[in-house]
Amino acid sequence: MSETPAIATRALSKTYKDVKALDNVGLSLAPNRIYGLLGRNGAGKTTLMSILTGQNFADHGTAEIFGHAPFEHDPTLARLCFIRESQKYPDDFKVFQAFHAAALFFGNWEEELAQDLIRAFNLPVKRRIKKLSRGQLSAVGVIIGMASRADITFFDEPYLGLDAVARQIFYDRLVEDFAQHPRTIVLSSHLIDEVANLLEHVIVIDQGRIIIDAEAEELQGAAVTVTGGAQKVEEFIAGYPVIHRDALGSLSSISIRARLSEEQRDRARAQGLELTPVSLQQLVVRSTLNSQKNQEQTTERQAIK
Amino acid sequence: MIDDSKPIFLQISELIENDIISGTLPEESQVPSTNEFAAFYRINPATAAKGINRLVEEGLLYKKRGIGMFVAQGAPARLRSNRREHFANQFIMPLTAEAAKLGIEMDELLSMIKSTSAT
Amino acid sequence: MSRIIKVARMQLINKWTFIGIPLVILASAFLFTLAIWYLVRRGGGEGILYGGGAQAPMWYFLALGIQALTLTFPFAMAMSVSRRSFYLGTLALFSACALILAVFYYLMGLVEIATGGWGVDGRFFALQWIAENNWLTQILFYFVLMILLFMLGFFAATLYMRWRTTGVLVFTIGLGLALLGAVALITLTETWPQVGRWLAAWTAAGVTAAGAGLAVVLAGSSYLTLRKAIV
Repeated sequence: MSETPAIATRALSKTYKDVKALDNVGLSLAPNRIYGLLGRNGAGKTTLMSILTGQNFADHGTAEIFGHAPFEHDPTLARLCFIRESQKYPDDFKVFQAFHAAALFFGNWEEELAQDLIRAFNLPVKRRIKKLSRGQLSAVGVIIGMASRADITFFDEPYLGLDAVARQIFYDRLVEDFAQHPRTIVLSSHLIDEVANLLEHVIVIDQGRIIIDAEAEELQGAAVTVTGGAQKVEEFIAGYPVIHRDALGSLSSISIRARLSEEQRDRARAQGLELTPVSLQQLVVRSTLNSQKNQEQTTERQAIK
Repeated sequence: MIDDSKPIFLQISELIENDIISGTLPEESQVPSTNEFAAFYRINPATAAKGINRLVEEGLLYKKRGIGMFVAQGAPARLRSNRREHFANQFIMPLTAEAAKLGIEMDELLSMIKSTSAT
Repeated sequence: MSRIIKVARMQLINKWTFIGIPLVILASAFLFTLAIWYLVRRGGGEGILYGGGAQAPMWYFLALGIQALTLTFPFAMAMSVSRRSFYLGTLALFSACALILAVFYYLMGLVEIATGGWGVDGRFFALQWIAENNWLTQILFYFVLMILLFMLGFFAATLYMRWRTTGVLVFTIGLGLALLGAVALITLTETWPQVGRWLAAWTAAGVTAAGAGLAVVLAGSSYLTLRKAIV
């Protein structure tokens, strides 16, 4: 893989007053893949994306897009598209005028796709953007992102206010268009279950730190919940890293990070233990909670010192 | 359909395998394309490709340049014999374990199986 | 096509904002003034009638300077435009608009004089203090004034973009203190008559030159502030 990464960051840090928005972030994203940038609200997703698109500045570290620092570099910026979740539009703009502007700046703009999506989302193009509902506003962002066909497209929580049908339209069209026109897509989301199957690679950020940076297939089936009699469950999970424990009377339900072999599964079944897969969403939630617990413990230790 | 139990590409391979075993995809028939799989299951096209390629590597599917993927001769038979090997572990063991839990004797279990498959 | 020109085209997508509204403001100010003049004449008023309505669209440019930045800048960022391209494109477009309007003012001034002040001896475009200069000074005077007001709005908006309310507050308070200091100094040194004479001595050319200097300073400061502004 000597190919220039689409996105590369080294030791990227950014602090707002007393909040660490980004803490020593090092990433390398290969071109033409779909990435998931997951994490809670306020974890640092938007800050990271706005630094990557030259809209914001890091305190330390470097960010490169196809080997170039994006800041004020028009040829590099022209390859990016980043519509924020809270994107502002000129007050006097009508919907079609925003698309008109986007067609001006994005060299690969695909008007047919835009029109198709406008119909699918049932978007009133002659209405002022100011007057749109939250969902319609999200749809404008999604359409610009999709039709821009930019080399790197960032979708920042693109589904806010969109109903289930509209979200499905978005996911369907994304898969369809990506198959025809592969490009680098960074999908920032906290609705993880909905996007899990689209992702090739998963990056989880929490309190500005990258806590997971792994191929999606490494995460699928990488954890399992074992449920059954407390004694038997404890015996079965001995030696595996535990990510979560639940207990109900003598019943125990413990999630462990493990990829079980067929033999192990058979053994569990024979012992009357129930095995259920841990979804990506659960895995991320558990990892996030654990990382926060660790963080608090470290802070406490430091406070004691 | 797709679930969280294992990598999606493995699930895609297994879905195709199932269709080959059941005869839905007979020998020499064309398998849907990567993009068709991706669109149908709403998964990443690269993942779908990986699942298909795995079967190509195992010789169950083969590629006709510029046309697409096809089920290889003898693929159903090979898959069936593979599955038979795992049948005991995957199905019989949980069955006997559950039967033991409920106090069902072996004779009773056998007659239950017979009567169920008769209907 | 260069991205700078594209920025100008983006600003022009809604032609109403940059071209329509100033013209409407100017036309209505002019028609109102004319109406009042006729009423004054019918009521027996005498002497030259002056109207200050020509400056109305200029104040709109102050608002436009603010609007061009606060609303369009975050959108331009989303269109993957560099701050430099945004700045140059916006400024270029506005300069073109200001130049066209300045020429229009000059031409209307000529018409005003030729028609004897629209038949009622009124002065709307050709205010004597300006109209007595050569054509170039007249056009430049209007042009610089418009640019200056636009830059003032633009600069205030960049301060807001970069440091939010704090920035604008510090700047306004600073400006207020400076003015207060100047007033105090003049009062204490009892030099008000000299200052009055100094102010009266300004020619249109002098104002143009000073205004141009100030506009350049504002333009430079705006760019340096905008370079590090975050949406």
